[in-house]
Amino acid sequence: MNFAKRAFFYISRKKGKTLSVFLLITIVSTFLISCFAILDASGRLVEELRGSVGAAFYIRANKKVITDGTGGMTVAEQKIHITEEDIMQILECGNIAYCNPINYGYAKSGQITFVPGEEDTAENNMGQITALNYSALAVDFAEGMISLTEGRHITKTDTGCILISSAVAAENGLSVGAKVVLESAELGVADGEYVDSWPHSRAKTEVTVVGIYEVLSSDTRRAPTAEKRENRMFASLDVLVGLQEGEASVYTGEVGFYVNTPDSLEEIISEVRKLPGIDWETHFIRTNDLQYSKVSDSLQSLGDFLKLLFVCVSAVSAAILTLLLLLRNKGRMAEAGILLAVGIPKREVVMQFLLEVLPVAVAAFALSYAVSFGIGDFLGKHLFADMPHDLVNERFLQTGLDGFAVPENYINIKTGNVIFLFGCQLAAIIGSVLLSSLPVWRMKPKEILTETN
Amino acid sequence: MIETSNITYSYDGKKPVLKNISVQFEMGKMYAILGPSGCGKTTLLSLLGGLDSPSGGKILFDEQDIEALGLAVHRRKNVAFIFQNYNLIDYLTPRENVALTSKLSSWPILERVGLTEEESRRNVLKLSGGQQQRVAIARALASDANVILADEPTGNLDEHTAAEITSILKECAHQMNRCVIIVTHSGELAKQADVVFRLKNGELAQ
Repeated sequence: MNFAKRAFFYISRKKGKTLSVFLLITIVSTFLISCFAILDASGRLVEELRGSVGAAFYIRANKKVITDGTGGMTVAEQKIHITEEDIMQILECGNIAYCNPINYGYAKSGQITFVPGEEDTAENNMGQITALNYSALAVDFAEGMISLTEGRHITKTDTGCILISSAVAAENGLSVGAKVVLESAELGVADGEYVDSWPHSRAKTEVTVVGIYEVLSSDTRRAPTAEKRENRMFASLDVLVGLQEGEASVYTGEVGFYVNTPDSLEEIISEVRKLPGIDWETHFIRTNDLQYSKVSDSLQSLGDFLKLLFVCVSAVSAAILTLLLLLRNKGRMAEAGILLAVGIPKREVVMQFLLEVLPVAVAAFALSYAVSFGIGDFLGKHLFADMPHDLVNERFLQTGLDGFAVPENYINIKTGNVIFLFGCQLAAIIGSVLLSSLPVWRMKPKEILTETN
Repeated sequence: MIETSNITYSYDGKKPVLKNISVQFEMGKMYAILGPSGCGKTTLLSLLGGLDSPSGGKILFDEQDIEALGLAVHRRKNVAFIFQNYNLIDYLTPRENVALTSKLSSWPILERVGLTEEESRRNVLKLSGGQQQRVAIARALASDANVILADEPTGNLDEHTAAEITSILKECAHQMNRCVIIVTHSGELAKQADVVFRLKNGELAQ
């Protein structure tokens, strides 16, 4: 009877012992594959966050402190003055994906009654306009204070487009596709009352409602009608030009620049500061890594923890597996002595012991591979469900945060990694069997039989 | 023929268990080696079977030194063991245990030593001591070995079964022309042997 046949009989008849080895290898493999997959996922996330979450910097106006003759001080908002030419120069300073210039203004309309605010009158019933290239990148949308519920976002190629709030849409019976004529307006204060201080003849422009948003974070400020969040209108840049509240290709609100690589943000900014065309007395740069550093640090900590956990799990698993195989083969020494006594070569005895474990290990690897997919799916949904979204991305610009599906399975079990792990385990198993078979090589059959009888 | 030539054996290199033993064992005979516990009977059997090597001297099988032949080859081709505690592989049936040493069908040999068809397919642990020893004998007989070395083969058996086993071993020597060497305490078993040796103080005497 050859060693393969003996190994087959052992596996098929010593079911309890075979099952214990099978279960142990399955559990160890599943643990290792899962740990490896999470480790890989966290590493990949950190890398991807650099490219996907991105970062931004904004050029804004400094506030000016004015002192009057009596010693009183007032803080005056200044306006920036950035031209298309400035923007072109800034875009050359680094890997900048998008530019989002913003102009602010006000508008009223005979077709719209805005949600009344503090001391609302027919005269001051107006809304603020935020004209920009990409409404999805507006802070209120990006930070989830408001959310697009119908239609689409405004993008760079749009003209004559606006987004209005669901409250204004409901109040005025407006829906996506509605045409509205806006008139120039300006919020002022006269005799302690809010007034429309537009000094010139009013310009009119027709716009189309392309999207409706909902205010998620309630606005409890005591604010005039024009400053209420519900009354904000996001518009394409041409709308304020049409209302004669701004110049084409000149931006006075702020300009946001979005970069793909947060770690290069400081470098880009230092290049921007060197540009001669921008007056840095009146302009300043605010940076925003879009929480990259916070998320990245957390993930880095998670990655370090997982590395430690992986090393511990590997060490403990290898120790348990080795110990079990050592104990198991120690109990087989009597059999080894008998086989040697009947003239079976040592090599064949050890080969039999190996062959009793290897098919069990392969079956356990196959099961653990299948189980790991289930675990990976579960962990992917629960560990990485709330990862930040890619803000520097064409799809995001069209749909905003609401267009993003929760990542179904961020954990990807790579065949290469699995094969590497199986290889390591196989080496540990073969090593353990050979180690536990040392007495077969070193001892004389009589010694083995004397010790075991 | 298997013979020893001035073999000595010592566990510690100082006090010899076996002293210059020279003896010949011929085919077709049953030999018994008697002696008190610890006198070296099993050691002598182990040396004859190539389970261990003597400290000095030689063991020859058909005039060839078994060390030169290779102990594993000697064990596989020339000798077969029957142990007091049977030493069967516990996850194999009697047929499979016998098949360890032979490529021939196991059943005729098992039938010859008195096992039924059903018993030959059972797990060996589900057999009685006597039946297990019969399987061990069948395993020895199934091999091509000319020398059968039995270490207290009836030590764990009742009187009746011991007599049956002794009879089988005797038949094996006389009818199958094998050389059967039995190490035993039993005077009854020794009486059945053709030649009886006594091992005392490391020396073998007839």
